Amino acid sequence: MRHGARKAAVAITSITTVVAMTLSGCSSDADTGTTTEPTGSTDGRITDEQRLEALTTPTNLTFWTWVPGVEDQVALFEAAYPAISVTVENVGQGLDHYSKVRTASQAGSGAPDVVQLEQQFVTSFAVTGELLDLTPYGATDLADDYVPWVWNQVVANGQVLAIPQDSGPLGNLYREDILAAAGVTEPPATWADYKTAAELVRANTDSYISNMAPGQGAGWVGLLWQAGVKPFGYDGGEGVTINVNGADAKEVVSYWQDLIQNDLVSVDADFTDEWYQGLNQGKYAGWLTAAWAPVFLSGAAADTSGLWRAAPLPQWDVNNPSSGNWGGSVNAVLKASENPIAAYELAKWINHAQEPALLFATQQNFFPTKISVLEDPVFAAQEPEFYGGQRVNEVFAGISETVDTEWEWLPFMEFAYTSFNETFGAAVAAKGDLSAGLDAWQADLEEYATQQGFTVNG
Amino acid sequence: MTAHQATIPETALSRKPSHRARRRRPANRAKRRSSFLTVVMWLCVVYFMVPLIWLFMSSTKDNSDLFTTFGLWFGPDFNLFQNIVEVFAYKDGIYLRWTLNTILYAGVSAIGATLLATMAGYAFAKYTFPGNKLLFSVTLGAIMIPLTALAIPTYLLFSSMGITNTPWSVILPSLVSPFSVFLMRVYAADAVPISLLEAGRVDGAGEFRIFWQVALRLLAPGMVTVMLFTLVATWNNYLLPLIMLNSGDLLPLTVGLAQLQATSAAGGGAQALFSTVITGAFLSIIPLIIAFLYLQRFWQTGLATGGVKG
Amino acid sequence: MSKTIQRKQTLVAYGFILPFFAVFAAMFVAPLAYSGYLSLYVNRLVGGVSFVGLENYARAFEDSRFLEGLGRTALILVTQVPIMLGLALFFALALDSGRARGSRTLRLLIFLPYAVPGVIAVLMWGYIYGQSFGLIAQISSGVGLPSINLLSDELILFAIMNIITWAFVGYNMIVMYAALKSIPGELYEAAEIDGAGQWRLAWSVKIPMIRPAILLTTIFSIIGSFQIFNEPKLLVEIAPTGITQGFTPNYYAFNLAFVNQDVSYAAAIAFLLGFVIMIVSYVVQLSTQSRRFQS
Repeated sequence: MRHGARKAAVAITSITTVVAMTLSGCSSDADTGTTTEPTGSTDGRITDEQRLEALTTPTNLTFWTWVPGVEDQVALFEAAYPAISVTVENVGQGLDHYSKVRTASQAGSGAPDVVQLEQQFVTSFAVTGELLDLTPYGATDLADDYVPWVWNQVVANGQVLAIPQDSGPLGNLYREDILAAAGVTEPPATWADYKTAAELVRANTDSYISNMAPGQGAGWVGLLWQAGVKPFGYDGGEGVTINVNGADAKEVVSYWQDLIQNDLVSVDADFTDEWYQGLNQGKYAGWLTAAWAPVFLSGAAADTSGLWRAAPLPQWDVNNPSSGNWGGSVNAVLKASENPIAAYELAKWINHAQEPALLFATQQNFFPTKISVLEDPVFAAQEPEFYGGQRVNEVFAGISETVDTEWEWLPFMEFAYTSFNETFGAAVAAKGDLSAGLDAWQADLEEYATQQGFTVNG
Repeated sequence: MTAHQATIPETALSRKPSHRARRRRPANRAKRRSSFLTVVMWLCVVYFMVPLIWLFMSSTKDNSDLFTTFGLWFGPDFNLFQNIVEVFAYKDGIYLRWTLNTILYAGVSAIGATLLATMAGYAFAKYTFPGNKLLFSVTLGAIMIPLTALAIPTYLLFSSMGITNTPWSVILPSLVSPFSVFLMRVYAADAVPISLLEAGRVDGAGEFRIFWQVALRLLAPGMVTVMLFTLVATWNNYLLPLIMLNSGDLLPLTVGLAQLQATSAAGGGAQALFSTVITGAFLSIIPLIIAFLYLQRFWQTGLATGGVKG
Repeated sequence: MSKTIQRKQTLVAYGFILPFFAVFAAMFVAPLAYSGYLSLYVNRLVGGVSFVGLENYARAFEDSRFLEGLGRTALILVTQVPIMLGLALFFALALDSGRARGSRTLRLLIFLPYAVPGVIAVLMWGYIYGQSFGLIAQISSGVGLPSINLLSDELILFAIMNIITWAFVGYNMIVMYAALKSIPGELYEAAEIDGAGQWRLAWSVKIPMIRPAILLTTIFSIIGSFQIFNEPKLLVEIAPTGITQGFTPNYYAFNLAFVNQDVSYAAAIAFLLGFVIMIVSYVVQLSTQSRRFQS
């Protein structure tokens, strides 16, 4: 406290000076983001000596993540590298987390060394220069150990920007009992079948076949991904591609508009108390969701154990099955880190060493991105009672192979999703014109991109 | 609505309390009761009480009874104590930590803000000096500044000095309460008779001694009021700690509970902790309600005392 | 008073105000100046920082999100604020008349919501509003009414107004009640000799006498309305499409700074908001004063 009191006194007296300095244009922290580039071997790669030195020097790392129980993986890391101690902080969920990471890393103090990011935000953080290129640290060697479409999500312009942790290929979780009561015995194979099933469920039960949450941009985008739509693109420089209202995207949403306006699916906000109750009490007979959901659901809807089953998404083209992705996250090292080698090692080790990586799959119930974990019988052969003993992980492992690898994100997904809620999401909530919702989203994204200095390609 | 919380029943203080108690005819008018008005008033009270009753009832239920049983009555199981245990067990007792943080931030801010405001208000009321009017109008104008206008740049300034994510980042900005200065000026003008100060000066006491030994006692009721309301303002603050603090160990209850609530929306890692959030919320308002009921009385006797002395 | 004494007292006075103004300069003036400085720049994802003068302010006047947020605030000012203050005044007069039984308890119970932190109030009401399982839904289905979704895009603003009313009626009531209590007794005697009833008494004696208190609560309600933040920030979780990023101007400034990373524009918005608050408060003050001159 005494130390703190002095700090505070210094604060009061110096704050005016700081302002005066800034006002006079003497900005000293113009490039706080940069860190001492590792020098060593001639090709810029970290040498083994440097690595050894960094990992045996007593070091404190900070790791910002929302993953519950990640302390266990971190403890394994600390046991493997006793010189390194790691402080785990949860600074908020969703956009709160991202804004904390950004402000801290731009303010030049208080930023963590390693952060949790969803895959979809890697580009957004790369564009502002906050992520450390992991290539010199040896990250390229890991490429073959991960599912190809996931690895593509962390690579941009020859740089490796993060280590994958989990992913969320989309599938269909459904209540076998409700569908059976409605007269649907097989999970719908095509979207046309799905509509028929939705009508049966609506006619014969009190349930909806699923809930399409209006504010769940990442889930909706995953459905576009499945349909082969390419709404976003970024060339790594000044050019972005925005095409959320193309003919292919409109085809997908017109399908949903039909279901929504005929009251065949509900449009409640998700992850609310009401929605949890909807899952528990059979208001929703299914959920089009990601691979991280099966185990989450078995906790969230515990009352309905044994009644759920998993299947791939219904298909647009049964001969060419495909899926999209929703969520899944990575660990990245911030440029602001003062201990980049140790920080990289943390990000790599907990997601690459078999023990912690498998622990993510079995304890946090994350859907693995590392091939050896996907194939590990401890993961793949699980037969959870919640799904009547079905090998759910196997189902999603199969789905993961059908995810299109050529997907790209915009470099400003935080704005893109809040804008989504105001445009397309609002149209869904109002059971209105979804196509117009896409147009509004497109216009809003273009305006923002231009405002931010990007060149927009159609 | 943060600005509201910083405010105080100004008129209660600014009107000369001295005339109140004596000139009022107490008994006569109060005799005629109106049953109609009584019924109307108690019906209105239902509106104010129902959410609080709901909060209590809900904190006695587990996660599933919470949504399946009637909100204004107990569920089949009485889970209050189990919920309380869960609240305090969550993340190794971080709830207790949040409570202590809240008390620390609110307590230090309230005492500090009250002292600063009392000294300034006293000086504005009892001394003439160049810049008196100007500085006072500046203070008044500051009441209108929206808090985000300050919070964002304060964050940037603090982080360039490395004091974000410390208790000071929450306490320092809370020390400034322009409205409290205004109140203390109004209050000091009435409560501290200039003759008393003159008498002190004749006795040869220094100005600061007069303040500490004579004026401060007379100002005490006003100070309690100001302290109570600055305490509530900091206790309830959400925006400032939300921006400034990162470590879970430093959060006050407001941000901590909001974060706990948000864990239900964390996608794959989501946990539905509704009964824990609700019980935590219920527990957190108990000390404030007790303090309010208790200090409310204190504050009113304080006004009465001020009246007798004036 | 001699000059030396005068000078000594001046120094003492500065000594008394110094601590406050030192902190005030560091925590109020400095951030404000910095904010003003920032608002003259723009920081783009491509192209970085550049000086743009007043462009951010010009942009705000064409920004539909900002203007819609102001519009919502205006709606709150003309609907919620009068209702809240009207209720507060009614309760204060009713309690002051002493005609309701248990008025001491009534006063405390109405005031109690003020002791509930805004964050908790919003969380609590959020559950109560729940469309299928919330308390309101339980009651309305219990009496056979259809359930209404108070968290829907159309109704969320009214849901927020209700939370604010619930939280602040009691506070405003106490301010007015304290003012009523300090009205000198002779005024009542005079009025009662005239044979004025309770309503007459309230209308022609009490309300005019507590006009300063009413003005004060009005000004603070205006300032408070422009600063609404907790409600949208916390309700966006359960009403993601209804709460837009510019739902209220203050919430917009927060989102600009912390989500969109547009700190400069956020600073400009916050500044404009301050001006709007000052103008509205000033106009209200002026209009009540001119009314007083007329009568």
